Amino acid sequence: MKLLIKDLSKTYSNGVQALKDVNLSIGNGMFGLLGPNGAGKSSLMRTIATLQEADHGEITFDGINIKQDKQELRKQLGYLPQEFGVYPKITAEAMLVHLAELKGITSKSERKEVVEALLKKVNLWDVRKKRLGTYSGGMKQRFGIAQALLGNPRLIIVDEPTAGLDPAERNRFHNLLSEIGENTIVILSTHIVDDVSTLCHDMAIICKGEVVLRGNPLEIVEQYKGKVWKKIIEKTQIESYRQEYQVISTRLVLGRTLIHIFSEEAPGNGFEAVEADLEDVYFSEISQKMEVITV
Amino acid sequence: MFWRIFSFELKYRLGRPAGYIYFSILFLFTFTTVIYGGFSPSEKAYANSAYSMSAIILIMTIFSLLISSAVMGVPIYRDLEHRTHTYLFSYPIKERDYLLGRFLGSFVVLIFICLGTQFGFLFGSALGPYLGLEEAERFGPFSLSAYVIPTLIFTLPNMLFTGAIFFALVALTRQVFATYVGSILLFILYLVANTLTADLEYRNLVDLLDPFALNTFNNTTRYWTPEEQNTLIPGLTGNIFWNRLIWLSVSLLILAFVYLRFSFTDFLAVRSGKKSKLKEDTKQVQPSLVTIPSVNTYFTPQVFFRHMIRLARLEFTNIIRDPYFLAIILGGVLFLFLDGWFGSGLIYGTPSFPLTYYMLEAKNGTYIVFVFIIIIFYTGETVHRDKSVHFNQITDALPIPNWVQYGSKFISLVAICFFLATMVWITGITSQTIQGYFNYEFDKYFTDIYLITFPRYLQLLMLAFIVHVLVNSKFLGHFISIGIWLLMFGIRNIAEVDYNLFFYTYRPPYLISDMNGFGHFMSPLFWYNFYWLCLGGIFIILGAIFWNRGTESSRQSRLALAKQRLNRSNIFGLALLGLLFIGSGGYIYYNTNVLNSYSTAKQNRLRAVDYEKKYQQYALLSQPKVTDIKVWVDLYPYQRAVKGKAKMTLVNKTPDSIKELHLDMNSPLNQSQITSITWNGAKMKIKEDDERLKYRIYELPKAMRPGQTVTLKVEIDARNAGFVNSGFSSGVVYNGSFVNLGIFPSFGYNAQRELTSDKYRKKYDLPEKKYVAPPQDDPNGLRNFLFDDDADYVNFDAIVSTSANQTVIAPGYVQKTWEENGRKYFEYKMDKPMLNFFNISSAEYAVSQDTWKNPSGEDVAIEIYHHPTHTYNLDRLNEGVKAALDYCSKYYSPYQFRQMRILEFPRYANFAQSFPNTVPYAESFGWVGDFSDPDDTDYAFHVTAHEVAHQWWAHQVTPSATRGANQISESMAEYSAFMVLKHQYGEESLQKFLKYSLDRYLGGRAQESKFEATLLDNDTRQYVWYSKGGLVLYTLQDYMGEDTLNKAFANFVKEAAFREKPPFATSGEWYEHIKAVTPDSLMYLVEDCFEKITLYENRTVEAEYTKMENGKYRVTMKVDTKKKYYDGLGKETSQGKKADLIEIGIFAADGKNKQGMTRKTPLYVKKHWLTPGQHNLEFIVDKKPEKAGIDPYNKLIDRVPDDNLISVSES
Repeated sequence: MKLLIKDLSKTYSNGVQALKDVNLSIGNGMFGLLGPNGAGKSSLMRTIATLQEADHGEITFDGINIKQDKQELRKQLGYLPQEFGVYPKITAEAMLVHLAELKGITSKSERKEVVEALLKKVNLWDVRKKRLGTYSGGMKQRFGIAQALLGNPRLIIVDEPTAGLDPAERNRFHNLLSEIGENTIVILSTHIVDDVSTLCHDMAIICKGEVVLRGNPLEIVEQYKGKVWKKIIEKTQIESYRQEYQVISTRLVLGRTLIHIFSEEAPGNGFEAVEADLEDVYFSEISQKMEVITV
Repeated sequence: MFWRIFSFELKYRLGRPAGYIYFSILFLFTFTTVIYGGFSPSEKAYANSAYSMSAIILIMTIFSLLISSAVMGVPIYRDLEHRTHTYLFSYPIKERDYLLGRFLGSFVVLIFICLGTQFGFLFGSALGPYLGLEEAERFGPFSLSAYVIPTLIFTLPNMLFTGAIFFALVALTRQVFATYVGSILLFILYLVANTLTADLEYRNLVDLLDPFALNTFNNTTRYWTPEEQNTLIPGLTGNIFWNRLIWLSVSLLILAFVYLRFSFTDFLAVRSGKKSKLKEDTKQVQPSLVTIPSVNTYFTPQVFFRHMIRLARLEFTNIIRDPYFLAIILGGVLFLFLDGWFGSGLIYGTPSFPLTYYMLEAKNGTYIVFVFIIIIFYTGETVHRDKSVHFNQITDALPIPNWVQYGSKFISLVAICFFLATMVWITGITSQTIQGYFNYEFDKYFTDIYLITFPRYLQLLMLAFIVHVLVNSKFLGHFISIGIWLLMFGIRNIAEVDYNLFFYTYRPPYLISDMNGFGHFMSPLFWYNFYWLCLGGIFIILGAIFWNRGTESSRQSRLALAKQRLNRSNIFGLALLGLLFIGSGGYIYYNTNVLNSYSTAKQNRLRAVDYEKKYQQYALLSQPKVTDIKVWVDLYPYQRAVKGKAKMTLVNKTPDSIKELHLDMNSPLNQSQITSITWNGAKMKIKEDDERLKYRIYELPKAMRPGQTVTLKVEIDARNAGFVNSGFSSGVVYNGSFVNLGIFPSFGYNAQRELTSDKYRKKYDLPEKKYVAPPQDDPNGLRNFLFDDDADYVNFDAIVSTSANQTVIAPGYVQKTWEENGRKYFEYKMDKPMLNFFNISSAEYAVSQDTWKNPSGEDVAIEIYHHPTHTYNLDRLNEGVKAALDYCSKYYSPYQFRQMRILEFPRYANFAQSFPNTVPYAESFGWVGDFSDPDDTDYAFHVTAHEVAHQWWAHQVTPSATRGANQISESMAEYSAFMVLKHQYGEESLQKFLKYSLDRYLGGRAQESKFEATLLDNDTRQYVWYSKGGLVLYTLQDYMGEDTLNKAFANFVKEAAFREKPPFATSGEWYEHIKAVTPDSLMYLVEDCFEKITLYENRTVEAEYTKMENGKYRVTMKVDTKKKYYDGLGKETSQGKKADLIEIGIFAADGKNKQGMTRKTPLYVKKHWLTPGQHNLEFIVDKKPEKAGIDPYNKLIDRVPDDNLISVSES
């Protein structure tokens, strides 16, 4: 089972080019899509979820061309959009039962069973009889996750799913995703690097509509080994360091500025070697496309 | 801080396009109205008169409800919508500054928008004279105060009122939808006030209740003549003052309330739902231990179909459980109920029985507005439901086909339409039951509601649906949906194009009748409904193709999607519906334009112009007169056809020899032709045959010498084939046909067909037309009868036939009846000469019979032919006939016939008419009136008396075709009816009738489009001959004595009845008889009434009483009297200076007369000679006085009739 994305391009009517020749082949398991805000993640996710169409290129899932056969894809799809609202006056349980039916679960007992399991799974069982309008942001998000998992989807697309979740909920969610059967493709879009490094065995970094890097997170980080250096400097020095080195990131540590740079060889000048992590890779990749200023 | 918020609000608004759009709409609307002639009902008032300005401002402030809700609802909601409230309110802003700043900022913008009306008016007035859409002389001079005063007293308070309400609604409820409901509720308040205006008694109440003061304005200005409309500006006086005071206070109270109540914390509070009663499951679950079971999913068409039905049901319950929907539908049903209760059947303030058709017609009243609102708004809600809660990305990715989503929404709205239609009969039956009327006609309810009305609601839905799907923005969708209807309404009414085939959902009008059911209307209704449903179906398929699923809404991407969705089945659907649409449109066109003809109002005017220009030369052409007429008329009710033959004896009564016969070929039936015409047995040559103008000239085989007699035989074949675009075409119908002499061609030029409006006459280079009839000394006018110049009195015979189940009635007496070939034949013969004025009516009748003995002891048969179920008021009609026969034969002359017949015809027209010994009476006019409340106007009795009196005043004394002569007929009939009423009910109960007459007279002269003529000169004005004439004659008999005045009329009858030779009777002759019996002291009154336009301004300023020691009461009162003379345009010319005889009355509490009707209980009534000005009067009466006043019965024509009689207070 494979999701193949070929030469996908999309320009919106306001002139913004959201996707540029995106090519990806995604297999079973968790796939992380990492990128800054406005990188085109959501556009890509929505295109896969049949909610919009690309100008060029095509997407096939398990042999289905999704542009030509949207319905066939939707039958196997679980989708959690980045932003969504709820009907305020209906209870979570009733709404899930309703959606389960629309997802093709025609047996009443099966519906009941699966809704119950999902509500427990996302820890909403206690509040299942409460109206969705009274839910907090995190509860709403968990409801969204539950609906995406209805009906044994084989392709799950979750767009920024952990936004608004507290750390405990986030862990639980990570566990939940990793439990999902192996025979499933899960695409997780996020701008949180940790999410990807803990969960995904495959990933892509996307920036300004282009895939700038893809591969296994561990292997990617491996390539950066010994090439990232750090140094603590004064805030006023940042500009001069930028001109001299390929600065990956800058951050404040106890009132002083810590910078990471990329260099094939030891740069000297007080730089220390640092264990590269995915974040360094991420910043390094996108800093080639856009200016990343974190201080 | 306040200033900063205020100016930010202003700047924000000025940067948004909406305000400018609203301004332009108001500007354009007003501009168009003004350049097309303004709002005055009279052509003689300026298009830009001060009156017109105020009227437009008021109407636009009501329309601006929508604008006000859009402008004033958002200033606070904006912060909620954009979620800026979450931080904005944490700033150091005082709530009050925030509120006031936002409110005033928006209010200033709102006022600026509303000034679009004033600017539109200004530009319209300035450019109007040059645009040529209206005559330049209809634009008067500019007056600054005509702009400033209405702006101050109408625009500002009205906008403050609506603005305050909408602002308050959002500030307190945090819901923008509340403003929709607010506007609807306001509208309801306004309409409730409106329904009350029909009754004169409630006017003061309505004046105060109307929050917009439109009714107040209308009531204040209702008697303004064109001249006054041009010059007077309504000021802050009287009821306008009180109204403004009340509603301004209400607005300020609302604002004060918000000002005190509003707090940021409340506004920010999270609304948590009610605490769930369910005991919460406390058992802890370990999420990781739960496994998600594997499930089976099915995606078959059956499953999808079930989804669609289930979703539709969900949508439907979503809508009907919405509290706002409930509020709107309750409002709608309330109006359905009120309109059914007070509405269509109300005649002269008297209700009719709650017949099923009245219940059904209530749906065309205010309810239709609610239907529009619900359909448009809830279509928007439904189409955009997922999107408005941002749930659409989830639902759009669900594995259901588009047609399930789309279909469910459409079906739920279809169910709403069905629900709306169903409410009509539920309300109808409820209303009937409450009124104790149990004759529910379910067949009528079913046919009208589900076969005629429901399809129309569907059509409304289909349009709203496609608009909302295509526009894809709720607010814009509402705006465009409403805009389309306003545009169609505007084109039909302003541009005068009413071709239904071009106006979505429009169709010819129809009326349900008890006699004729849905009659011949079913066929056009079916075809138009079918035609529009086909188009609606095309909309629905297109909507499916363009259905917006997914997150993209740009035009290209939607077009691209639409292209993908085009497939064989929807192309086939479109093609099929397209073919049916065109096919049914073609069939309708065939009916309205090929079988029948359609012409616009403009084409009709042009035809009248051409007719006059081409044939007016023949107006005085000598033509023969009929002396004997025998007709054979065969009615075919079910074929809607008539075959007729007339054999006429013609005499040349002129001194000229006649060479040509000119025929006016206009026929009340749409397809009419002469199949044969012979002159003394010989064929005639057609010299000219003008098909368009319906004028034909025959050359006589031999010139007709003066005094010569010939026989003319004419055969016609006429029918109503197919159906027409507008009008009822009700001559020959299945049950209740009513045709008259007009089925045969008449002779010569017909001046009635000329264009009367001077505005249009000028436009088409025709001379101004002051009068229709010639002056009283015109020899041609004097030698003809007013109603028909083809004959003087004639001998009349008729052999008429109809289908076997019907009875056919014509003037005269039945000689014999027989059946032949399955048809029924009747031979009627009149035994003495009569007016050449007959009707032929055919229906399934039941008959009620009675006899009246005339003073010489002979029997006169009274027969009432009625629809079998319409037996409610037979006694009342019978009484009216007898009372009128009694009165007229006692005072004027013997009744000339041996029989009097009243007969019913369907309600396609609403009148009664007097033919020789026959009075046809419309179904809705008297037959189904509910006269159970004795205080309701007994118009059945009144109108019957009036029509019977015409047997004298028209059929005995026949007016000549001169100016003023119709007063002899109509004023006399109305006077006779008043007198019959007076004898029946007593003088003390008559004020109500007099007041209605006075109201109609004053209202009529205010709408005069030429000039008001006197009783002696008037040739066309109903308000003069009925209302003024009846009232003035009643007053004269009161002043000089009934016997005295009736003596004059008896003398007149003696001299003028059945006059065989010209000169025929004129108003001058009539007036001479009246003057002959008038005492010198009252000559001033007679001259004021007949020769001049005279209006009193009588008023009681105060009245007090003290109880005296002897148990009697001393009443002191201050009265004011003034008498003014006016010219025909309503301009004051002079004032009376001498003393007038005016009644002063003091009354105890009202009592009841013997019929249970309210009567005044006079303690003192006497006429006094009063000079103009104030008078202090003092009287002593025996009992405690309640009311006192000057001219308490409204016998004199008084500009303000309501202030004559006031309550007496203890001093």
